[in-house]
Amino acid sequence: MSLRTVAESRVQRLEVLGENGKADPSVDPKLSPEILLKMYRTMVEIRAFDEIAFKLQRQGRLGTYPQILGQEATQVVPALALEPKDWLVPTYRGQGAYFARGMKLRYSLLYWGGDDRGVHFPEETNDLIFAIPVGSHLTQAAGLAWASKLKKDGAAALAYLGDGASSKGDLHEALTFAGAFKLPVIYLIENNHWAISVPRERQAACETLAQKAWGYGVCGLQVDGNDALAVWRAVSEALDCARSGGGATLLECETYRLGHHTTADDATRYRPAAEVEAWKRKDPVLRLKAYLEGRGLWDERRDADLRARAQEMIAEEVRAYEAFPPPNPLDMFANNYARAPWALIEQRAELEKILRESRDLEEVASLPPPEGRFP
Amino acid sequence: MNLVGAVNEGLRQAMAEDPRVLVLGEDVGVNGGVFRATEGLYKEFGPDRVVDTPLAELGIVGASVGLAINGMRPVCEIQFDGFLPTVMDQVICHMGRMRNRTRGRYSIPMVLRAPHGGLVHAPEHHSESPEAYFCHTPGIKVVCPSTPEDAKGLMIAAVRDPDPVVYFEPKALYRAAKGAVPSGPYETPIGKARLAREGSELSFVSWGAMVYTCLRAAELLAERGVSAEVLDLRTLTPVDIEALLGTAEKTGRVVIAHEAPNAGSWAAELSSLIHERAMLKLKAPVRRVGSWDIRMPLFRLEKYYIPDARRLVRAAEESLAF
Repeated sequence: MSLRTVAESRVQRLEVLGENGKADPSVDPKLSPEILLKMYRTMVEIRAFDEIAFKLQRQGRLGTYPQILGQEATQVVPALALEPKDWLVPTYRGQGAYFARGMKLRYSLLYWGGDDRGVHFPEETNDLIFAIPVGSHLTQAAGLAWASKLKKDGAAALAYLGDGASSKGDLHEALTFAGAFKLPVIYLIENNHWAISVPRERQAACETLAQKAWGYGVCGLQVDGNDALAVWRAVSEALDCARSGGGATLLECETYRLGHHTTADDATRYRPAAEVEAWKRKDPVLRLKAYLEGRGLWDERRDADLRARAQEMIAEEVRAYEAFPPPNPLDMFANNYARAPWALIEQRAELEKILRESRDLEEVASLPPPEGRFP
Repeated sequence: MNLVGAVNEGLRQAMAEDPRVLVLGEDVGVNGGVFRATEGLYKEFGPDRVVDTPLAELGIVGASVGLAINGMRPVCEIQFDGFLPTVMDQVICHMGRMRNRTRGRYSIPMVLRAPHGGLVHAPEHHSESPEAYFCHTPGIKVVCPSTPEDAKGLMIAAVRDPDPVVYFEPKALYRAAKGAVPSGPYETPIGKARLAREGSELSFVSWGAMVYTCLRAAELLAERGVSAEVLDLRTLTPVDIEALLGTAEKTGRVVIAHEAPNAGSWAAELSSLIHERAMLKLKAPVRRVGSWDIRMPLFRLEKYYIPDARRLVRAAEESLAF
């Protein structure tokens, strides 16, 4: 009988860019200018979008909206590192990831404007609709990866989650499957330090969330999530591992939610302003910009030009969003089953009759024809 | 006082009178709840009795079951109705069964609070009406107030109740429903309905925010010379069978209205009870008016999904013409 160590774990953290935008050459992924500029452009565009979407909500032109301000690197960079065949499984704070995959921003506006037509992914990529019940998508990502493994299609799945979701049993079960079946899946925790008003410290007593990987036999790594190059490198290596049969990775990307939880929240009620200010100094967009300037790839003139073009692009997306005709109420009945059962056929007919008889007849007459598959 | 204020006052007084009562859930402490239902409680009762939990709904309910078995009186909050499905494992397999499984050795005096219903332009999974899943579960009680006075009284009754009570808070009424509320602690008895409007020719039966839609429908019918009454159940289970059969036998025509989809809704059970026990007094079959048998759409279409007063009037007219 003895007491001896039978297993040990260690947690590593990856940082490439300093706060000044200088890269550590020993870990710099040395990306091509093309990738770097695309990364930066997408981050600048989504930040500009975020600001405008917030204003639209305040003006009553949009429903509740979850800002991603401060999380541009963890949102955009992993999605850019994927191939189209890989599965993207975002959270509800995922408009940056969808945008990076090619979804037009008008659809994010439409969705948060309360319109189901906002669920509209590009044909050529494998994107899953996000789950609003927190964490409930994580086991699904394991299933997506499992199917890819069975089909040998070489695709991986990348699921985002927050520090809050890391407390849910779903992550335990997802990592259990990912480890046991050695699945080509990446779980990327965007640790933005706040689950609405509950701080990261309240979610788990462990020093890092990355170390949770250890308990399931999957790789874990903590990453500076406000460092676009570190995020790129971590995700790329996890993808290589997944594609080569090495199994799953849990990445904890440390970032910060600079805004409120959503437009319905008031973060000043529960967190100190000094903490927010401290994180502003680690701004992921500014750090990447400084790096690009250091490499001679960027300057203020080009930056001003990019920002002006981003404003134009977003203005066009807002115009397109507001130009959608109102949704036809009968659309609710489409796509509930491959073939609608009698009850839905009856109920749709009843709603159609109500609409015809209603005093909102003018509103109803202006509606577009129903879309979607019915019966 | 509005309805969310009444919930808050009920919680505060229940906590003040019994040191075993504690409030737990996501954002209920420092932030006072996303709807401010627990505003001020953290400051008044401290972090041991008003607890911000990790983001883990099943853990919140399972831990509450354990707290209750071991002598505490937990009042846990699930932040939105759409996040309730994940807790059903604890609700069905443990919360509702513990007293019976242990042959009375352990009981679960806890309250599970959650907002309820739509029509507030909320995001997806924030406008659901899942009461039927709970009402179908043996061993628990389910309440859903529609007035501030009942909200406070039912909260105090629920906390004092020796069995688990699921307490639904109609979020459309949080700020819209206003009324006088007695200042001291009092109970609105669980299992007793409230006659919200008296009438003679037709009965609306409902709960939560839909009670007000029924009252509007009754007004519209009154303009056409029809006298309709509105029964606000307040408690869904155990239902006030005397009040339910009483109104059915009185008017002979019943329309049961709610926000949940119709198929398998709690109205189906109520309708069966009426038909089984009062059929010969009925002048028309009991009508159910719920949402369509599809999922809650995003908010731009919710007004076409959840029944409005016109849909209730249509059903009433069909009942009257039967």
